Amino acid sequence: MYGSPSYARLAPLLALVVIGIVLPPLVPQYFLSLGNTLMMYAILAVGLDLLLGWAGQFAFAHIAFYGVGVYGTVLLQSKLGIPFIPGVLIAAALAGLIAFLIAVAAIRLHSVYLALATFAFAESAQWVFNSWEGLTGGADGLRIAPPSVLGWTTGTDARAFPVIAIILALVIGATMYLTRSRLGRSLCAVRDSEHAAAVSGIDVFRTRIWAFVISGTYAGVAGGTFALFQSFVNPEAFGFSQIVLVLSMVVVGGLGTLPGPLIGAVLLGLLPEIMRTAMRGLFVWQELVYGLILILSMMFMPRGIWGLIAARGGRSK
Amino acid sequence: MLEVQTISASYGSVRALEAVSLQVDAGGIVCLLGANGAGKSTTLNCISGVVPSARGRIRCDGRDITGWAIERIVALGIVQVPEGRELFPALSVEENLVLGTWLHRRQRNHGPEFERVYEYFPRLKERRKQAAGFLSGGEQQMLMIGRALMARPKYLLLDEPSLGLSPLLVQQLFEIIARMHRDGIAILLVEQNAKVALSVSEYGYILENGEVRLHGRAKALSEDPEVHAAYLGA
Repeated sequence: MYGSPSYARLAPLLALVVIGIVLPPLVPQYFLSLGNTLMMYAILAVGLDLLLGWAGQFAFAHIAFYGVGVYGTVLLQSKLGIPFIPGVLIAAALAGLIAFLIAVAAIRLHSVYLALATFAFAESAQWVFNSWEGLTGGADGLRIAPPSVLGWTTGTDARAFPVIAIILALVIGATMYLTRSRLGRSLCAVRDSEHAAAVSGIDVFRTRIWAFVISGTYAGVAGGTFALFQSFVNPEAFGFSQIVLVLSMVVVGGLGTLPGPLIGAVLLGLLPEIMRTAMRGLFVWQELVYGLILILSMMFMPRGIWGLIAARGGRSK
Repeated sequence: MLEVQTISASYGSVRALEAVSLQVDAGGIVCLLGANGAGKSTTLNCISGVVPSARGRIRCDGRDITGWAIERIVALGIVQVPEGRELFPALSVEENLVLGTWLHRRQRNHGPEFERVYEYFPRLKERRKQAAGFLSGGEQQMLMIGRALMARPKYLLLDEPSLGLSPLLVQQLFEIIARMHRDGIAILLVEQNAKVALSVSEYGYILENGEVRLHGRAKALSEDPEVHAAYLGA
């Protein structure tokens, strides 16, 4: 966790890119669609973990920044003709900017008060997505035209898969550097003790604001990947159940680690698929099952699945 | 010179400090004694900027630092070692120390600072790769002081360094504190263990209910019958 990540640790990222490129012709479309969804959730969960697990900020506005990323990328393309790569960068920067404003407004709040304030923001953002019909199409939703990435038109799961794999690899790589950087350590410092961080000369407010901005930007990028493989978006995708889902991924996987949210995203992302196929009649109980998993994992593995694996392996992180 | 001039502070409607004045000379060593709730930690927190003072001024080397942001105060060379176990348990000893260099972060090599800390506390060098949360109480206290030393303090504010340590460890720790003072760091020491604090200090202040009750040379205080009865035991 100190210094640059070794090349050995970057190897899995290369593997991810290779898999992203060779897999699409070999497997059925259903699995590619599932893979795209899981990779998108992975980006969302890693971004939330930076704020929740690394910086210790109990905030729930993540899904709103994700929404800004989705609508931003889609609308920049459809209204202004901006291609995908600059579009997703602008949308992610916009999500980061809004996260900055929320952070500045909520910076004096802690724990449950911060949770409530950010949750209120997420709810109002969903309301904006619903009501700004001229832009978002309101509850009727918005069609997404297949974006083109450097001349490579996505839009189908098979064509989006390699692009999303590359984006996920970049995001994980960036996170490896970030969590080993000075900023990464200062996030942990603020989480562990604001008092000790402050008297070590760390500007606690500025560090907390950075955590919000970075986390919001990640959510914006995740939103951009949504536009690559989905053809339709409506505000329902940004509701309370999504907040709970991404939160569960981070907590069940393991807070404050990089493998944790990745594991969580895969396991909890697969859950609705398993329930849909194996237990048709039980699908309506989905929310309840998430809640149950969250409670049980808090009780029996407070440091998440990765915490358990790391403890078994005798490693701290 | 670090000067605290008639500062007052409260938590809500509870008055914690009332017109407290004290002074630490450059390179001096001063202790601040008193019972629980007398306002010792609050005084330190006012100096380091963690708690705002309602009235009075705080000056450092001729500059008025009242109301400054915490990190500016640290940059000036006033570094606090908070009470208890305020460290970063998930990070390694080395990472905890690196965080102490935050203000000198543009400087690439922190070798000399590390060496100085490891010279005072060789135990930390042995355990430098371990997570801070797994250290013993004494080692955690050493790490907190070490982290403060990494910021190159001119004035080191120590809040109850003896808390929860065995008598033997307390003795060892105070020998190191005396050494840091000999090496030129000014020290303001808050302690409940009056005996050991007075033994290393040049000057002492005794707080009672948020006010300075007595002050004087450490030797004179330790011989004062009133102090003896109230703080040093029979």
